[in-house]
Amino acid sequence: MEFVSPEGLRLDGRRPMEMRQLRAKIGAVDKAHGSAYFEMGNTKVIAAVYGPREVQNRSQQLNDQALVRCEYTMANFSTGDRRRKPKGDRRSTEISLVIRQTMEACIMTHLMPRSQIDIFVQVLQADGGTRSACINAATLALADAGIPMHDLVTSCSAGYLNSTPLLDLNYVEDSAGGPDVTVGILPKSTKVTLLQMDSKLPMDIFENVMQLATEGCKAVANYIREVLLEKTKERQKFHGV
Amino acid sequence: MRDIESLRLNQTQKLRFEKALEQLDFLSAAANSNACVAVADTILVDHQDGLLKGHGTTDFDGELVATVCGVVERVNKLVYVRTLRARYKPETGDIIVGRVIEVAPKRWRLEINFTQDAVLMLSSITTGEDIQRRQTADDELNMRSIFVENDVVCAEVRGVQHDGSLHLQARSQKYGKLERGQLLTVPPYLVKRRKQHYHYLEQLGIDLILGCNGFIWVGEHIDTKDDMVEDQVAKSEQQNENPGDNFSKETYTSVEIRQNICRAANAVRVLCALGFNITADVIIETVKLSNSVDIHEMLGPEFYVLVAESEVERRRSSKRI
Amino acid sequence: MEQRLSNTWRMTINEKKFIKTSLLADLRVDGRRPFDYRRLIIKFGSEDGSSEVQLGQTHVMGVVTSQLVQPYRDRPNEGTLSIYTEFSPMADPSFEAGRPGESAVELGRIIDRGLRESMAVDTESLCVVTGKLVWSIRIDIHILDNGGNLVDAANIAALAALSTFRRPECTLGGEDGQELIVHPPEVREPVPLIIHHLPIAVTFGFIGEENIVVIDPTYFEEAVMGGSMTATLNTNGDVCAIQKAGGVGVLPSVIMQCLRLASVKAGDITNIIKNAVKSFNTERSLRKIKRHNSSVIDVSETAQKVDVKFSTNHVNRLKLSEDSRVAQGNGMEVDGQISQKEGTSKRDSSAKSFIGGPSSWDPHSKGIDPDALRASFASRVVLAPTEKLEDSKVDEPTDIEPNQPIVDDNSYISPKEATNTKSKTNEEKTLIDAIKPKHRRRRKASSQH
Repeated sequence: MEFVSPEGLRLDGRRPMEMRQLRAKIGAVDKAHGSAYFEMGNTKVIAAVYGPREVQNRSQQLNDQALVRCEYTMANFSTGDRRRKPKGDRRSTEISLVIRQTMEACIMTHLMPRSQIDIFVQVLQADGGTRSACINAATLALADAGIPMHDLVTSCSAGYLNSTPLLDLNYVEDSAGGPDVTVGILPKSTKVTLLQMDSKLPMDIFENVMQLATEGCKAVANYIREVLLEKTKERQKFHGV
Repeated sequence: MRDIESLRLNQTQKLRFEKALEQLDFLSAAANSNACVAVADTILVDHQDGLLKGHGTTDFDGELVATVCGVVERVNKLVYVRTLRARYKPETGDIIVGRVIEVAPKRWRLEINFTQDAVLMLSSITTGEDIQRRQTADDELNMRSIFVENDVVCAEVRGVQHDGSLHLQARSQKYGKLERGQLLTVPPYLVKRRKQHYHYLEQLGIDLILGCNGFIWVGEHIDTKDDMVEDQVAKSEQQNENPGDNFSKETYTSVEIRQNICRAANAVRVLCALGFNITADVIIETVKLSNSVDIHEMLGPEFYVLVAESEVERRRSSKRI
Repeated sequence: MEQRLSNTWRMTINEKKFIKTSLLADLRVDGRRPFDYRRLIIKFGSEDGSSEVQLGQTHVMGVVTSQLVQPYRDRPNEGTLSIYTEFSPMADPSFEAGRPGESAVELGRIIDRGLRESMAVDTESLCVVTGKLVWSIRIDIHILDNGGNLVDAANIAALAALSTFRRPECTLGGEDGQELIVHPPEVREPVPLIIHHLPIAVTFGFIGEENIVVIDPTYFEEAVMGGSMTATLNTNGDVCAIQKAGGVGVLPSVIMQCLRLASVKAGDITNIIKNAVKSFNTERSLRKIKRHNSSVIDVSETAQKVDVKFSTNHVNRLKLSEDSRVAQGNGMEVDGQISQKEGTSKRDSSAKSFIGGPSSWDPHSKGIDPDALRASFASRVVLAPTEKLEDSKVDEPTDIEPNQPIVDDNSYISPKEATNTKSKTNEEKTLIDAIKPKHRRRRKASSQH
């Protein structure tokens, strides 16, 4: 199947180096201390952050830093066929672990000892790149909750089909069986914190694909920063003083 | 609290709302041109040496970087980032309102809007009549007769422990269990520290307690006398007179007072959703404004617009002064 | 997340500092240099498809089994490959028995990605009847001792087990040509899996502020490290999978450096695995050669001698039901002779060894006098030459259904004795022998249906 036409257009009309449209909204869940809704093309996720608050399980309390917990679930209606188990299956467990460790790298946990930060991410519509969208949404939610962070974490995926590196794969391109590289970076220092790859790739091509994904992450970081700045200005405007 | 965007404003309401927002923008921009920052933004500083790096900032490769989203404040040599949606930052002497979540040996644990639960020791409260009496084991067993789970309590911050948890005290009569009212949660940054946090709104006949942690209590007015001795005597007399008259104390709150409580609570909700500062005056004004609408319509779009407009007026007038 | 932290061992600040400081001088606590692997030992069990890997102190076991199943609807002509991990609390007190925790799931998925997505195992050759029957390969990984870097060790165990695994051959036959016949190993030689390449996992740990990189972190280094990255590569220069699940950030240049280093290490480890598999295969074929050699021997003679052997065996084990067992043993013997020629011939060979002198092909076994052997049976001493007899029992298929419990019992002693003089580096019993072969039960179950 042809994923890149001879004119250089992909199945959804994008160019190989083009990302899908991003949309973010802060404050999607009122009850949470911080929340965000993030869209990458047709992939829609919602993230809610609670914390820092009292540790619910005393035995897990850490005396020198905050405990970060994360849960990734996919809604039953998020994929084409109805999912039987929204959480608890192996893929969700792994992605929860990945998101938790990624966010732990950027949260300044030593400023909030003996407390717990809960990150809940739910995928409402899955069209490829759910992992990246979840990390981006979680970053927004944490910033909204006022939790101090070293740096933002943004994530994007890239692949390699028809001998072309493609940025931000959607579901059809992802399930084509080609390689899928998900990268999460700290934009300020351009350090890579998350890197996942599956399927085979020769090493030099892998380097190109990783670089492409990193560029995508930087673009997402710019967008997220704008959204956060805008929201802060709006709140400040209302607040007055 | 509801999001403004979820309101369904019709065309005229939208126009008015936007106009009010513009004016607010104009006023605030003129008042303070402070820099808003997002996470990991560099903070521009003139001189690096002798600079105190305050909350919300960190050092990255020699430059000052924000760790939270907020507004940069400079006070002499101190530079810090004031966040808007942060957790409550406790200070000794703050008046807070909390909810009991656990009855533990010799203490109660209260949920306040903080990273950890606050602790109210049995020895830090007044047990009622004989405060001078030494506490016995019976007192400990009777803890449940004072506060149980889910009770709303008003207290004062005695101090912050070394491990970060708060210790509270409720030593005078005005602290203690709160009954017959509503507890509202607002983001802590909307409640400023003032001299007075207890307000008795006489026209409405309700008590208003603005906890610094963002918990606001709106309830029926209860007479509390600060004079201990008088209280003691009076109470003992009362008890001698009416031994079996306990049920009469459970008086029925009149409908009018209930309505006033609801109006005040809704006023707080609207102010919180719009992100305006919450003080007693603002609440009284908003309640006055709401007398033209039904209580349940206070959370409708029209009232939001009215409140926004009145806020604009208030700020403009405060600027002129 | 479900970890009971009360069971977690915590590292002292002194130890952490010591590890970090010595790394600044390019020295690791166990004396290795930053890019050295620990000693890797690969052992195989008596069964096809079971391996035991020791990487330093880490001890992992891998077992591969197969089963005929219906294929997935969207892939009707491909077999399936699934990986199951078992993190037993014996390996580390922080592991909980029962449902796999987060790290167990992560490990399973890393190995899964390396094997499945990179097409290391050819799944199309596992298809028997398109759309109806395919082989499902199941890899079970048991962690026996957690000395750090479980991923690499488990990956090697899986690869070694896959390389030595042989699935039964099956053909379409029967009356209408539609019936599936699964041939037992004695009838037709089991078929190995087609493995295109070996994806080797190499784990890096990032320790300290300057992000010093170490390969193959030990348990203590894992407690200190700020982040880790597992790169799965093969010797063709392909990157099969990468897993860097959060943790401290590293520069992309460091990542590329790590990948180049990993490809070198992958080459080394591939050689070690290939050598181990080759020696196992050689030894296995030698066993088979012995079988073929003595196929000419008179049936009755061997039957008698084997009877003797059986009876003495049973005396050794269960005095009570001796007679019945011997009788049943006889019955089995007869069946065996009729249906499995090779099986008998193998027994013949062992019978031969009792008659004759020392076995000429096995350099390690000593010649044993049969009388002395009988005497020693009485005194319950287990000796070497019984190995060949027991091997035959091991290879016996489980389709002698009424006698299955007997077969099982017999084979229970056998692995233990069998490994005693296998031509391997160590002559001690390995852990595989202590465990009743799990796949036997399953094969039994599948053949019963």
